[in-house]
Amino acid sequence: MDVHRLGIKVFIAEPVRLQVTDFIPIFHTWIQKQIVQDHLLVDVHNYSHIHHGPGILLVAHQGNFSIDMGDGRMGLLYNRKQPDSGTIHDRFVTILKFVLRGCCLLEADPGLARRLRFRTDELLIIANDRLNTPNEDATFLELQPALSALFQRILDGTEFTLSRYSKDPKERFAVRVQTNQSPEVKTLLARVS
Amino acid sequence: MPTWKEKLAGKMDSQLEEEIDVFETQIALRRSGKLDEKIFAETRLRRGVYGQRYDNGHRHDGIRTQELQYLSEMTKGPDTLWDAPGMQRIKIPFGGLTPDQMDALAELAEEYSDGVLHVTTRQDFQLHYVHIDDTPTLMRRLAAVGITTREACGNSIRNVTACPLAGVCRDEVFDVTPYAKASSKFLLGHPDAQGFGRKFKIAFSGCRERACGLVNMHDMGCIAVKRVENGEEKRGFELYVGGGLGAVPHQAKLFDSFLPEEELLPISQAIARVFARLGEKKNRAAARIKFLVTKLGIDEFRRIVLEERKTMPVDPRWTGYLAAVEKYKEKPSREASPLNGRQRPEGFDEWYRTNVYCQRQAGYAVAAITLPLGDLSAWQTRGLADVARRFSGDNVRTTVEQNIVLRWVSEADLPDLYRELKRIGLGDAGAGTIVDVTACPGTDTCKLGIASSRGLAAEIRTRLAGKFFNLDEAVKNLHIKISGCFNSCGQHHVADLGFYGTSRTIGNRKVPHFQIVLGGKWQDNAGAYGLAMGTVPSKRIPEVVERITDRFVRERQGTETFQEFVKRIGKQELTTILTPLMQGPAYEQDPSFYSDWGDPREFSIGDLGVGECAGEVVSVAQFDLAAAERMVFEGQLRLDEGDYAQADALAYRAMLQAAISLVKTQFQDVTDAPDTVVNEFRTRFYDTQLLGDRYAGSRFAQYLFKRHLSPPHEHTRDQAHRTVEEAQLFIESAYACYDLLTERGGMAAPLRPPVHTEKAAGIR
Ligand code: HEM
Ligand code: SF4
Repeated sequence: MDVHRLGIKVFIAEPVRLQVTDFIPIFHTWIQKQIVQDHLLVDVHNYSHIHHGPGILLVAHQGNFSIDMGDGRMGLLYNRKQPDSGTIHDRFVTILKFVLRGCCLLEADPGLARRLRFRTDELLIIANDRLNTPNEDATFLELQPALSALFQRILDGTEFTLSRYSKDPKERFAVRVQTNQSPEVKTLLARVS
Repeated sequence: MPTWKEKLAGKMDSQLEEEIDVFETQIALRRSGKLDEKIFAETRLRRGVYGQRYDNGHRHDGIRTQELQYLSEMTKGPDTLWDAPGMQRIKIPFGGLTPDQMDALAELAEEYSDGVLHVTTRQDFQLHYVHIDDTPTLMRRLAAVGITTREACGNSIRNVTACPLAGVCRDEVFDVTPYAKASSKFLLGHPDAQGFGRKFKIAFSGCRERACGLVNMHDMGCIAVKRVENGEEKRGFELYVGGGLGAVPHQAKLFDSFLPEEELLPISQAIARVFARLGEKKNRAAARIKFLVTKLGIDEFRRIVLEERKTMPVDPRWTGYLAAVEKYKEKPSREASPLNGRQRPEGFDEWYRTNVYCQRQAGYAVAAITLPLGDLSAWQTRGLADVARRFSGDNVRTTVEQNIVLRWVSEADLPDLYRELKRIGLGDAGAGTIVDVTACPGTDTCKLGIASSRGLAAEIRTRLAGKFFNLDEAVKNLHIKISGCFNSCGQHHVADLGFYGTSRTIGNRKVPHFQIVLGGKWQDNAGAYGLAMGTVPSKRIPEVVERITDRFVRERQGTETFQEFVKRIGKQELTTILTPLMQGPAYEQDPSFYSDWGDPREFSIGDLGVGECAGEVVSVAQFDLAAAERMVFEGQLRLDEGDYAQADALAYRAMLQAAISLVKTQFQDVTDAPDTVVNEFRTRFYDTQLLGDRYAGSRFAQYLFKRHLSPPHEHTRDQAHRTVEEAQLFIESAYACYDLLTERGGMAAPLRPPVHTEKAAGIR
């Protein structure tokens, strides 16, 4: 399947302890250090004034990171922009790796001093491409094998479910991955790498 | 999987479809180094594809200036890297939108931008962080819902704006919508509007008194007026020219107190021709039409335009649209019904007071959606489109205050509408009040931004919103407008409290500041510009707002307006209020002054780039020659594919195009009939030896004559290949001729009458 613009969102546990604007200086520091592997970090954009919007955006050439406020739920979203090589499975792996690396960096950030923790019992996968991945069951059937294989591996056999996030044909195709366990992001990262 | 191009083929207006294909080819030409970067820059600008901050590959990260290492060194304009994120401006004539268009815009914001749609101060939309490679697809998806990005930027006629209440306003003389629509369509891509040295902005207003159209600050402004002639009521316009903001604002001058409706389009065209011919081209800072009008004086300018009007070939489109004007009608989605007695949700009354306007048509209202900083997310846009479908129909408009209005809402539906808006986070009160701060893109995305206009706007908005309901009525209705630099894209000149970004040095460090501009007039179609009062550090501007508004409330006399108050107490007294705020603290005392609102980086002006507001001055001839080259390029592609007939046809068209580009420098209204082109070209350039022998021009001209006179009997690879090669050589000689003429200063040749020749083309 020829889809490259894929995104994954990892939700933040107990976001009440954080303001979305707390992330602005952190993202600026990331740019100063060009700390994100395989990415040219370009700029930070503050969208905190938009209700349930993209929050704080870290623009990079290859893909954007954001502290996304979609549905009112704070999380780190990685949205791939440039095409990747490999099969669809490989591309999911790459994107998952990038978002988890981002999560680990944030959890380790002294500015957030243990206020931030990600939960991994739910992930959101978004296909940002209405041409190749219309929001319909057929797309789900087509992507399910790659997603199942991936999560069987990285959730280490824990049971999980995959379901379509919304059936509204105008929305982008998105899949929710749910399990009843929430291993640390670094554990998951070790499994994808 | 089909591509978007395949999927949407035939679903777009055929002209738009072709234009976008052409743009895609131009991208390919630039990629392969076959199109000059300056011509490409202006080409993309005229498609709304704009540069964005840091696209020269440098960015100050707060500590040092980083080189942004994009993989490719290719450029999309002088000092503008191909891979750097850019801005796409989307033209929305008079701000008119349908829910289906909003759905499409939302999709594009998500897939190619950052998920946000931004409403501009001229009723357009902008998407930021867009990759240029995505723009043709983005344009096709817009074209499929009837939207073009053509001439959204560049030295062209920009979006035609109009009062968002046109047609439903209680005060208007008549509905200007169909006229704004007709002008926009007629002037879009018009050949007479391609040779400007700068942009040209048009606005329409339904009345003289209110602000909505901002006619006085436009290059050309039209106010609806009526007059009785021979017992019959006639529609027309009070026509203004030569207004404009920018660093040096000009009030427009009255061109005609009653321009009959049938003269609107021809006079616009004549003005465009005069501006293209006489407007300044070299000095970009003096190239807007306001400088030409000032230089010539309005009377002389008018005389020249009216002379020009007489020479223009008649165009049926001038009046073709008028029959439909009286019949122009918008369709509400619901029956009119009064609000009385309905249950009102919490917050509704406050929202109703500031965001609802009762239409002239009883039982209907306009509901304003307050957009913070003009932004809304893709999800909100879709939600709003659904709300509009249900309550308003195809009657959505953007406003110059960076909001959106839903028109034709049945009053009885307002409580339900409000609930729905709240659900998607768009139910804020305060539209058009002091909390509804207007701001240009500023340092967020603009290459010329000095200080953060959006950061400041967000801060002022947050502070005032907290106490909005306790503010004095006189203060509530003031307007704040902020620009990130003196260029005034945020329209600070016409605000009660206007600010524009500058920088000052304290110690050895730069500190973001704003110049304060007080007392501009938003009413009377932007009837007066404000006065500069001095600069204050950015971080103290909220305090400035507070002190000045407090003083206004305390000392206001009767129903005095803010402008009257400013005038009465005078600049000196106002400066006294501001002086204590003008000095910034030393860095050691308070380092927060040394970074901007919403941006923790230590402030720097090192990121200032070269703006593309003026575009590149590319003459019509250069564009035409580039088009000829593109045709040969396409001919070459057809040749490679084995389509010899098409290859030959394209090569021939390319030669005609190159010939036309030269002829037009002398004879603007030449038609594109091949016989005429060849004749005119032969008489003007070949017989006169103007084509010259640089690059064997006269020899290569024979290729055109030969191909014109004897088209091939059969299409072979050999023949097509030869024609393509010959076309390339002919274009080279046309370029050489153009260069020679420019060196001799012969390009701004005055309009000469057509050469009437009896000779059949090619006979010689
Ligand atoms: C020397 C360069 C520039 C000048 C003199 C200039 C001037 C202006 C003025 C006077 C307006 C609006 C007021 C009106 O209605 O007439 C405007 C509109 C605008 N400008 Fe600029 N500008 C410049 C460059 C830029 C740049 C680099 C950006 C950054 C993106 C920008 C962004 C805007 C926007 C967003 C609008 C509203 C636009 C629309 O929808 O047409 N401008 N500009
Ligand atoms: S006013 Fe200045 S900073 Fe603002 S958009 Fe215009 S050029 Fe940019």
